[in-house]
Amino acid sequence: MGNWERLVWNQRDALIAGFAVTVEVCVIAFLVAIVGGITLCLLRLYVPPLRPIAIVLIEFFRDTPIFVQLMWVSYVWPELFGFPGSFFAAGWIALALQSSGYLAETFRTGIEGVPRGQHEAAFSAGMSPTQTFARIVMPQVLLASAPSIVNQFTVIVKSSTLVSVITVPDLMSESQRLVNIWYEPIEILTATAAIYILFVFLISAAGKRLADYLRRRYGLAASS
Amino acid sequence: MTDNLKQALDLSLFWEYRAILLQGLVSNALVFLCAAVLALSMGVGAALMRVHRFFPFRLIGTLYVEAFRNAPDYIMLVWVHFVLPLLIGILIRRRVELHPFMSAVIALGLVYSGYFAETFRAGMQAIPRGNLDAAHAFGMSEGLILWRIILPQVVRRMLPEALNQFVSLFKATTIVSLIAVPDLMYAVSMVTQQEMRPLPLYTGAAITYFLLIFLLASGVRGFSERWRRKILA
Repeated sequence: MGNWERLVWNQRDALIAGFAVTVEVCVIAFLVAIVGGITLCLLRLYVPPLRPIAIVLIEFFRDTPIFVQLMWVSYVWPELFGFPGSFFAAGWIALALQSSGYLAETFRTGIEGVPRGQHEAAFSAGMSPTQTFARIVMPQVLLASAPSIVNQFTVIVKSSTLVSVITVPDLMSESQRLVNIWYEPIEILTATAAIYILFVFLISAAGKRLADYLRRRYGLAASS
Repeated sequence: MTDNLKQALDLSLFWEYRAILLQGLVSNALVFLCAAVLALSMGVGAALMRVHRFFPFRLIGTLYVEAFRNAPDYIMLVWVHFVLPLLIGILIRRRVELHPFMSAVIALGLVYSGYFAETFRAGMQAIPRGNLDAAHAFGMSEGLILWRIILPQVVRRMLPEALNQFVSLFKATTIVSLIAVPDLMYAVSMVTQQEMRPLPLYTGAAITYFLLIFLLASGVRGFSERWRRKILA
């Protein structure tokens, strides 16, 4: 156990700092992805002129591997659009793009699942389309897709390991730095893998509990 | 910016290196095929362990599935490439090195076997208990029951889901360049270092992968719909 103490426990500050960066990148990407997903989904459903563009973007974000997108955003975007200015930003942008594509489809299924009759009922109660959307449709969509949204966060965490490739100092990158100091990868990499597995496991367990709770509380056919 | 945009969309440089890039894509396909075979077989094994009536087997199966399902692809890739050979080396007291291709296949195969195991388990749990009782009553052996009763029903029900996972596995093969498997992304980064023009190269790679995976995914989607209508009606 001496090795574990020397290589992992004594390096906990570096690992914790890396984990904090991982969480930061993931949370930013997650929030941006939710906003981006709702936007793409609304464009696709309710703005006919922009519909083809929204579909192409959604499909492009969903069907391009995250690593390819990450490289594309970090090496092509700065020359093309003049941003992102940092690799940190490139990291969360790429993660957010991919997840916004998936979330847009999740939201679309949710919106299309709201029965037509509710729109008619809201209309006869004198609600405007915007009100109907904000008060009738969206709450149900968010409830029904909450488990998928949590699930998407685990995907972001898993993909976030790749931002270490573009030198963002996340947990993965810190642990590889430690490996390169001592050339003793067994303990550090195993510990890092365990941290990631535990973190992802806890998030998906929380997602399952949330799904159960929502099903009990609101009787929704929430699928995880 | 328009100048840059023109440069990004001018894919002639990408086309110039088509031979080496295509070779990279073949590597992707090879990793995908081998990892898929490994993932399928390990996945079936893990799923059977998870529903085994002997508790320790069930525990091992559950731990296996949860560990690999929740592990990021990239950390598994690095772990298999750098740690696994050392552990094996300690066990057999000899220096072992894994070829990057082998590491990639093992890592991706293990991660996706976790996903496949869950899919199979869901499929197996949907099989009515009575089917198994009836098979036992006929005196079928465990192996025969698996082959004739369980697998056909699982495949029929779970094929669409499994195909989606194959598409994800193919996407995941893009990261194998990080341990120097000469795949398409690896070729792109090599050529980029030589030409110093990331714009057309990375854009070309993104478009190539997008088209390929889009075609695969739409094929799977169309097939799944027909399959569900026909088989699961």
